[in-house]
Amino acid sequence: MKDLIDKLIQEKLARETEAKTRRHFIKNCAQGLGGLALSSIFAGCDPLSSPPKKTLANFSERDLNPLATLAPPFSSKVKSVIYLHMAGAPSQLEMFDYKPELQKLDGQDCPQSLLEGKKFAFIKGTPKLLGSQAEFKQEGESGNWVSSYMPHFKKVVDDVAFLKAVHTDQFNHGPAQLFMHTGSARLGRPSIGSWATYGLGSENQNLPGFVVLTSGGNTPDAGKSVWGSGFLPSVYQGVQCRSKGDPVLYIEDPDGVTRDLKKSTIDAINKINKQEYLKYADPEILARINQYEMAYRMQIAVPEVMNINSEPENIKEMYGVEPGKESFANNCLLARKLVEDGVRFVQLFDWGWDSHGNAASVSLNHGLRNKCREIDRPITALILDLKQRGLLDETLIVWGGEFGRTPMQENRGNKKMAFKGRDHHGDAFTMWMAGGGIKKGACHGKTDNIGFSGVEGRVSVHDVHATILQQLGFDHEQFTYEFQGRPFRLTDVEGEVIKEILA
Amino acid sequence: MDVLKQLLGRLHPLLVHLPIGFIVFGLLMQWLDRKKNEYDKLIPVVYFWGGISAIAACITGYLQYLGEGYAFETIKWHLWSGIATALFSFLMYFKLSGLKFSTTLTKIPIVVLSAICLLLISFTGHQGGNITHGEDYLIEPLPNSIKSALGFEIFEIKEIHLTDENWESALLYDDVIQPIINNKCVSCHNQKKSKGELLLHTAEGILKGGESGEVMQANNAANSDLFVRMKLPIEDDNHMPPEGKTQPTKEEIKLVGAWIDAGHPFEGTIKESGLEKDLFLSFFPNVEDNDYPDIEITAASQDSIIAIEKTGVHIDIISKTSNFLSASCINKPDFSDADFESLLPIKSQIARLDLGNTQVTDAIFNKLALLSNLTILKLDNTSISGKNIEQLATLKNLKTINLTASDFNGEYLNQFSSFEKLQQIYLYKTNVVSKEIKSLKDGQIQIDYGGYEIPPLPSDSIVY
Repeated sequence: MKDLIDKLIQEKLARETEAKTRRHFIKNCAQGLGGLALSSIFAGCDPLSSPPKKTLANFSERDLNPLATLAPPFSSKVKSVIYLHMAGAPSQLEMFDYKPELQKLDGQDCPQSLLEGKKFAFIKGTPKLLGSQAEFKQEGESGNWVSSYMPHFKKVVDDVAFLKAVHTDQFNHGPAQLFMHTGSARLGRPSIGSWATYGLGSENQNLPGFVVLTSGGNTPDAGKSVWGSGFLPSVYQGVQCRSKGDPVLYIEDPDGVTRDLKKSTIDAINKINKQEYLKYADPEILARINQYEMAYRMQIAVPEVMNINSEPENIKEMYGVEPGKESFANNCLLARKLVEDGVRFVQLFDWGWDSHGNAASVSLNHGLRNKCREIDRPITALILDLKQRGLLDETLIVWGGEFGRTPMQENRGNKKMAFKGRDHHGDAFTMWMAGGGIKKGACHGKTDNIGFSGVEGRVSVHDVHATILQQLGFDHEQFTYEFQGRPFRLTDVEGEVIKEILA
Repeated sequence: MDVLKQLLGRLHPLLVHLPIGFIVFGLLMQWLDRKKNEYDKLIPVVYFWGGISAIAACITGYLQYLGEGYAFETIKWHLWSGIATALFSFLMYFKLSGLKFSTTLTKIPIVVLSAICLLLISFTGHQGGNITHGEDYLIEPLPNSIKSALGFEIFEIKEIHLTDENWESALLYDDVIQPIINNKCVSCHNQKKSKGELLLHTAEGILKGGESGEVMQANNAANSDLFVRMKLPIEDDNHMPPEGKTQPTKEEIKLVGAWIDAGHPFEGTIKESGLEKDLFLSFFPNVEDNDYPDIEITAASQDSIIAIEKTGVHIDIISKTSNFLSASCINKPDFSDADFESLLPIKSQIARLDLGNTQVTDAIFNKLALLSNLTILKLDNTSISGKNIEQLATLKNLKTINLTASDFNGEYLNQFSSFEKLQQIYLYKTNVVSKEIKSLKDGQIQIDYGGYEIPPLPSDSIVY
């Protein structure tokens, strides 16, 4: 035993001595030193773009608290946004885009002229046109069309503004979802919610500014990047809260750790951090102190706001919530509670909208109807509930998928499929917005007779983003973030505000 | 042969620097040597080579003129002054090397000749630069004030002034169409820079059209290039204005189309043209329905805002273009009537006040009456009953009161009739029993009692 210990000590001494030799320094440290030198050389290459050094004198409240509120450049119409994303792409032709002509052409071959030069995810050869599986009626004073799949929605049809001819250039879920939420089909850009919290901060110091709720099932194909912060500081990324179990992972203190112990732990850490700050005057340290304290407050506030059981029975019924489960209805009610508590951006993801028709669960007559039923009541309730609390005026609700669906029946493998379904289609699909500053009962854009492409009032995904930013008080062309030597925008170099749906 | 011609022509921008170098060098040597005369023999040689290289520059320049299709009008001054420089360079050579072939030449003092030489080479060079870089190349970076002082025309943005009162009597072309074309097209289509041989700065120019013919067909915007090319998608090569230039708005394009469809009248008012008001609405001043009064106020002092925020009340500046503030007690649920004093330093800046979920009582009303610019007031989830709420009638800007889930009592409802600008009251979950009164002041004030229900439908439980 003693031998072994001696050997260990010997070895330790040898290593220590080795680390102090000139030979070691020259042989092994060259790379490290070279790298250090190189990085300082590169840093010096661009004297114009390097930001001024932060000193004690010039840090702002933002440096200490990244979620401190900032004034928008223009007066905003809304304080919060609730974005309802139906991942998988809902069929506009079974929900809002009424096409009687398509009904007449049901079962006929799709004209070749429409297919030329088009790419579809699954359609092969010549598909057949497929009339809407739903019945449509004009509803409300606006007389906008709503299908029989959404029987409750007609109650709020006069509160929303439809965009009937949105188009995207992506026809696969992942890139299309990224495009819809970050303005780019490639990874690396911040999501709308990140831009919003970066630009405006958040009022409630006990809650995150950007909350993401998913209704279980599959997460969006594009992954968490659809609520990521891209090149913005990561503090602006969406915080995913779960409606089942702990709302935020690891929010509960571990067994045996009391709230007091937690508090004194954080106090101790912050005390060290404060000493560190006095020594180096780096505002990043203050930001860290702030974050610890916020996380501590969040431990109480988040579970409280995420608890839907405290809501009265009639409200729970109105939304159709299912306590203890992960459901879109629960999330809609949570969205209201969060907005009520000053959360800036609430992003809801629902799943299962990819109605190809290759199984009953994803067919237009079964799966889609069930999905519509699952969102119909909660969305109607959300709009009415916000309205009766005077919150609809200061909230923007956006609804949509990542693209739309074809007027043709999908014929995967050039065969007739067991169920009726539609393929991915980006040329024309429906989205809607409601809330502050949105023209009630408006309907912008028109598709052709069979709903294949937009013929009037076509708007792009960038246009939708420009409009959301406008409602939050930003000019989308001026709202930029400096990254890799150039300013970046949510709308890249495109986008035009859709004034037609603004009040 | 043509290839050689073109190639030689393209060497012109390179070769021109030789005579410039020689001649300037010669001039400098003359000045340097003005007393000692040590380089008498050398200086004429410099001018000799200056002349030779100038001739080479002239020849290549002429070839370039032929090959690249310049108009003679554009290059004539450069051409003649270039030839003059070449000849003058030889003249200097003869004069300085003492060859006496003309008596008049010997009589002119060398200083005068040198000065002329300097002028010639500078003038020629400048003209050449103007051809390659454009006439405003040197002027462009100067500030506008200096440009106009130097007598250069600066492109001016013209504003469109239409209002609800004057729009009918405004002149359609002069007051609306001309400013649009001026702001979005004229920077490239003017007498100096007539891209596509199209002039759009005058009515005559617009009517005349450009190299591909007329740009307007009366009453037919769909066949008029002026309209069609603006309407093309920006990716289209034929789209005007080209990518990178300021683009006309949708409304501007639509209006130009409507103007052509109406027979593109250059005279007459909007009313006479018969165009609809809708087309012009976007040019009216923005009467925004903001959540703050339409007046300018002084900014609140930063110190007082910081002091208030220390108490836990959250203060936001409404926007960077306004000094109005939004105050919220979202982080201070224990806010009570007594805490109101802390808000007094910013009492005229508060346009939006959120006292929801706080401890305030009816005693707050006479304090709130001090917030003269208050536009939106939230008193939801409080024990407010509405007693003395008439004290708020002095607030001339108050638009919205939110009393959701407060103890508001129906007997005070009629007090709101004396509120001047009030539009919306939220009374969901209050103590108001009778919900008969849906609006006050002939519909100006809307009351929302909430309590919306979504009755169950048979389809709610059908699983497909």
